[in-house]
Amino acid sequence: MQGWTTTQQAPGVAAQHTAAAPHSYPSNPAYTSVSVRQGFGPYTSTPAYPGYPQPAAMHAQPATHESQAAKPDHSQAKVKWPDSVRDYVQRAFHPDNDDPSVSRSEVETKLKSIIRAATEDGTLYTLDWASMPSPQVLVKADRSATASPASSLFNSKKRKSSEFAQSSDGHTPPPWANTNFRLSLEDRITSPDKRLASDESRTKSSKFQKDANKRRRRFENEYKAHRGTSPSPPPPSSGPIVGTCETLEKKYLRLTAAPIPSKVRPEPILRQTLDLLKKKWRKEGNYSYICDQLKSMRQDLTVQHIKNEFTVSVYEIHARIALEKGDIGEYNQCQTQLRSLYALGLKGNPIEFKAYRILYFIHTANRTGLNDAIADLTSAEKQEHAIKHALDVRSALALGNYHKFFRLYMDTPNMGAYLMDMFIVRERLAALCNICKAYKPDLNLRFITEELGFESDADAAEFIIDYNGQHLLEDRKDYIAFLTGKAGALFEGARAAAFQKVDIKGQI
Amino acid sequence: MNELFDTFAKAHAAHNGYMIAQTLSPVPPANQPQMLSSVWQSANHQSVQGTIKHFIKKSASASYHSSLDNTELNGWVEVYTAYWKAIGEILAGESGKSSWTKVYDAWKDLTSMLIRGYNNHGFQAWTIPSLYMVGKYLRLFAIKSDEERSRNSSRSQAGTTIIQDDFDADADKQSQLRDCEQHLKRIFTLCLTDRAPLEESRKWGIYFVINLLFKTYFKLNSASLSRTILTSLKAFNDRGDMPPLESFPKSQRVTFKYYEGVLFFLEENYVEANKHLTEAWLLCPRSSKANIERILIYLIPCRLLTSHVLPTKKLLEPYPRLQELFLPIAQCIRRGDLRSFDLALQKGEDEFVKRRIYLTLERGRDIALRNLLRKVFVNGGFEEPKEGNAAPVRRTRVPLAEFQTAISMGSGGETVDPDEVECLLANMIYKDLMKGYIARERGIIVLSKKGAFPGTGV
Repeated sequence: MQGWTTTQQAPGVAAQHTAAAPHSYPSNPAYTSVSVRQGFGPYTSTPAYPGYPQPAAMHAQPATHESQAAKPDHSQAKVKWPDSVRDYVQRAFHPDNDDPSVSRSEVETKLKSIIRAATEDGTLYTLDWASMPSPQVLVKADRSATASPASSLFNSKKRKSSEFAQSSDGHTPPPWANTNFRLSLEDRITSPDKRLASDESRTKSSKFQKDANKRRRRFENEYKAHRGTSPSPPPPSSGPIVGTCETLEKKYLRLTAAPIPSKVRPEPILRQTLDLLKKKWRKEGNYSYICDQLKSMRQDLTVQHIKNEFTVSVYEIHARIALEKGDIGEYNQCQTQLRSLYALGLKGNPIEFKAYRILYFIHTANRTGLNDAIADLTSAEKQEHAIKHALDVRSALALGNYHKFFRLYMDTPNMGAYLMDMFIVRERLAALCNICKAYKPDLNLRFITEELGFESDADAAEFIIDYNGQHLLEDRKDYIAFLTGKAGALFEGARAAAFQKVDIKGQI
Repeated sequence: MNELFDTFAKAHAAHNGYMIAQTLSPVPPANQPQMLSSVWQSANHQSVQGTIKHFIKKSASASYHSSLDNTELNGWVEVYTAYWKAIGEILAGESGKSSWTKVYDAWKDLTSMLIRGYNNHGFQAWTIPSLYMVGKYLRLFAIKSDEERSRNSSRSQAGTTIIQDDFDADADKQSQLRDCEQHLKRIFTLCLTDRAPLEESRKWGIYFVINLLFKTYFKLNSASLSRTILTSLKAFNDRGDMPPLESFPKSQRVTFKYYEGVLFFLEENYVEANKHLTEAWLLCPRSSKANIERILIYLIPCRLLTSHVLPTKKLLEPYPRLQELFLPIAQCIRRGDLRSFDLALQKGEDEFVKRRIYLTLERGRDIALRNLLRKVFVNGGFEEPKEGNAAPVRRTRVPLAEFQTAISMGSGGETVDPDEVECLLANMIYKDLMKGYIARERGIIVLSKKGAFPGTGV
């Protein structure tokens, strides 16, 4: 129930969609080389002016190859599209939804026909645009193409996050990461509009067009000024800010007031920052420095409403480093963010992190969280190695199958072992309680070592002694015996205590 | 308008709370579908307060028992003015000219006015059913408004400057319902802390509001917050400062017991859960099938864990959905068929997870395993009698290999590692499902001569 502005029928919908298309630049990265679009007030305009009148966008239609088709007549110019339709168009042109197999013109044609059909049968305002499949999808459905390739980029990594950082350099970079940094004046972006313009100028750099773009930008800035939304400091409702800071490093400071653009780094700078931080982390391994820097990066991303694959990678890297360093508070904050970022359909390593999530809930014995985490999984995800591992760990523990549990512990993918280490002692105690009650009169210590995943007999013995079980160890001729029959309830207290105190920080 | 306030006056004269609640309904009575729009049309924005005041006075003076003093009268004028505005939004929404968000906001104002009526205008306790009416719809409108926003979303938080370090993903999704919770909490406090003597206390509204709060917390996925409500309630109950639950209407009791039970269930306190759910089950009229079903969904897994009882066919007969959920699993447990148990659990996984019983049902595997091991034991037969006429004794020393074979067969034929078999047996012993011990060196299990499988007759 929105956009009741007008129900006027638009005779030439075909032309209209290009006018709506400019809104399709919500948070796209700076270096997406998308083909020309009549970008108008892309980044801020939609959020800032929900009821943005379409005619203004019309002015933003300078000479391009599309402009003929897009030439509006006056009656159309008054039509306001419902926000839902605009969102849909926006979604269609969002770089995240780009599909190499579907050309832009196909998308446009499809969009036109969808919107025309909706206008003609009067369902423009009633259709559930949010759940409408994107034109790319529909085009492909039309072609009755086969299933799209799996998006899993997952590859197994070792435990160390620093190793990850190394490998991530050789990681298949997303398309935009390959684009060279061109530090021309124009590229030192101060507004997304300029950024857009530079994109355009790169692909279609006729001088005329550059001028046209500049003109348009100027106009737009004036327009904004009129609307009173651009003066700084911006009023609280002015939408995401656009940073202009060019320093790579920045100390983290908690915000107490609206951020100042000159102290916020735009995405291209942040990308450089991330590279720098990765190098520093590998070289110096100074966690407090890295954590501080990553936090300030996260803040800059947030205040600028940047939610894309780069955002994902920042949170993933911070989560891994925090995990390695046992900083559960930061780790949890990152996980929470990652969860919603993945939910937006952004690419990253959801399998890896969903698996961590399950392991973490096992650690905190959070049944509700665990239940929700399982509910979130698709059946395909349940078959993925890391997630399957985490689910198996869960079910082994639920059924008290310590044998299986410790086998799984020995073979944990990614950095999951850091999480499992958090509850391994507790589970060893539980298993010991079990064993002491079930086996009589004694056992070879080697059996404990093997069943409970200790590195050596000495480790196993030490563990038992730590819990005051020295009298249960007996040196026999060729082995050490563990006198289970005499243990009584020795480990029960420690077990209960271990299960009781689960330290929850920055809970998910 | 006339009719509305005639009802109001009648309700006042008779001290009929449910009747007065009816005058605050956002849904027209079935026999007068035009009720709302006629009320809406009989006033306009400028004069609405005066009009309502006029009508209330007129109706009140027509009835004998008019006991409305001026303060109370003004309070009701405020309430009905807010009500009038709210139905204005509702009617506008019906013709597509408003949104659920606006309806919610208008209804929220009505709620505030009503609460203020009790605090400042001396509304009497018998009128509390109007709080039920208003609170009930406040929650429903909040949910509608949240749904509406999520349909139109993709622009969440877009209009605001964020000064946080990270995005708050969930804040927006159910923001209206969260807001609603605050207002329900106010009603809760309003009822809980009334110091009037019990017979004329707003405390009689407590369970209705608590149930609304429970529903809200469960919907918000933060069921655990219900605990705080129960804690403050308990403080009053312990002091004897609250009417006993038994004196409240049955509908409120059943709902309350159900939620209390589910709450314990989620906290894995199956013994308590069992107690409360059983109570709800016994109280709930057999005719409300949907509610019985809701109760049984949690009660059945509860019983399985606490007393190892499986649902009978007869119990589930009237509920095909429950049969589908539980019968396959129950059969596998009975037969001790591990493999089919795993498959059945997997098959129902989505549904079980959705209802939050997956993790509980999973533990039924222990019972399936127990039944399987028991078969091995029973089939082992009896020891050679040592003396002529002593009672026969079962063979209590069972080779590990026999159990291993059984478990391997039960798991669908693949050979299970002997160490894992030992682990499973150790578990059975630890959980007191089986009595005995493992003598590893000799490769045998020594089972208790008396009650090797407690509670199963052997």
